[in-house]
Amino acid sequence: MDSGSHISDAILEKDVTLTLAFKLRSLLTARGLSVVMTRDSDAATAPNSPNALTLDDRAGIANHAHPVACLLLHATAAGNGVHLYSSELDPTTGEPLANPWLTAQAPWVTQSQRLQKQLALALTRANVPLVLSRASVRPVDSLTCPALVVELAPEGTDLSSLTDADYQQRVAEAIATALIFWKNQAQPPDRLAATPAATSSTPAVQP
Amino acid sequence: MISRHQRILFWCLILCVVGMGLVLFLERKHARDRVIALGDATPIDAPYTDTQSITLDLANDADGTITAATRPIALPDEVTARARALLEHLLAEYAMPGSTHPLQSGAAVDDVFLLPLPVVGHTIDTTAHTNASGGSSTIPVAADPSSPQPQSPGGELAVINLRSSFVNAHPSGVEVESLTLLSIIGTLHANIPQIEQVRFLVDGQPRETLAGHADLLRTYPSRDTTVQAALPDVTP
Repeated sequence: MDSGSHISDAILEKDVTLTLAFKLRSLLTARGLSVVMTRDSDAATAPNSPNALTLDDRAGIANHAHPVACLLLHATAAGNGVHLYSSELDPTTGEPLANPWLTAQAPWVTQSQRLQKQLALALTRANVPLVLSRASVRPVDSLTCPALVVELAPEGTDLSSLTDADYQQRVAEAIATALIFWKNQAQPPDRLAATPAATSSTPAVQP
Repeated sequence: MISRHQRILFWCLILCVVGMGLVLFLERKHARDRVIALGDATPIDAPYTDTQSITLDLANDADGTITAATRPIALPDEVTARARALLEHLLAEYAMPGSTHPLQSGAAVDDVFLLPLPVVGHTIDTTAHTNASGGSSTIPVAADPSSPQPQSPGGELAVINLRSSFVNAHPSGVEVESLTLLSIIGTLHANIPQIEQVRFLVDGQPRETLAGHADLLRTYPSRDTTVQAALPDVTP
């Protein structure tokens, strides 16, 4: 069971992120993109296994899909609007760093920061309050794709806006618009540029 | 002939003399113990320096920033005790009413260990003879080239062992969790410059995240986090 945190007595993070992920998947699928989600129900388990997916399992699923973008969806009661975080790793273009799994994102950091700006523009146009920063949130540093943590906070001070369908739809539409635009811009890092299948038109979403 | 009254008086005086002698003997013993105790130099508390101005990197949830603030604090001389006391002071600030980054009060840091970089392991020396007590000697193992390396001679890795009671009560959210970690890292960087890298444990064990978001498995470089917390511009 992926419980996430308790945003309030009546609101669970897992419910908010799953609802937002469904909205996002519908919008992206309708525009011709295929979406890989690491869970689409309450429980996140590996295929043919009762064991819950670990964060590393989720990163593996995303990496195998060679997506144009990876989004890690979270929700919080703190602040307002949408918080966009890219990896804290320093960008590299050379060989993998000392611990390849925990620094796999490093060659993609520059792309992730460009994607962050694209999403920020779209959300600003949708009049959604915004926070941009960098953070080390598992498993973003292990993703081999442009990756962002998208944290949904209340629209104002009212916590119940987190479950407001109109607010979630507005955020999902802004993100979907940015991802459609991003699909044609995504480039693999220099080190992987020679690999023909380095990217595909598949956003991966981790609610 | 001595009268009966005089004999009674005599024995009463004898009793008084013996009693006073006993009291004097016990008082002298107590006085000697007190003097010995005063002369005992064994430390009971860690040696503290005089109060000095210490920089704390304080988090602010309202704008997601870390701001350096100075506080007059007396800290121990010994560096690991100093690091632990420093973090206890920092986290105690967050438990005070009106905190800009409210956290639960109570003990948060169990221990802080400082390890010289690169971290060197030990293995049993199979070439050495078993000693008289049946134990075996150990020898250092060459440092793994992929392990954290020092940026300068004398660089150290700080391993901060947090209490699970603190971690389990920590508010959940990317920003609030990241600010706690950045605040800790920035405060150590500002006051103990030989710390180059920071790792976290919870009750002595590795844990994936602080409260579901911020990564506790990675090694964080020690740096000035007041600069890092500045948000990039967004131009619509």
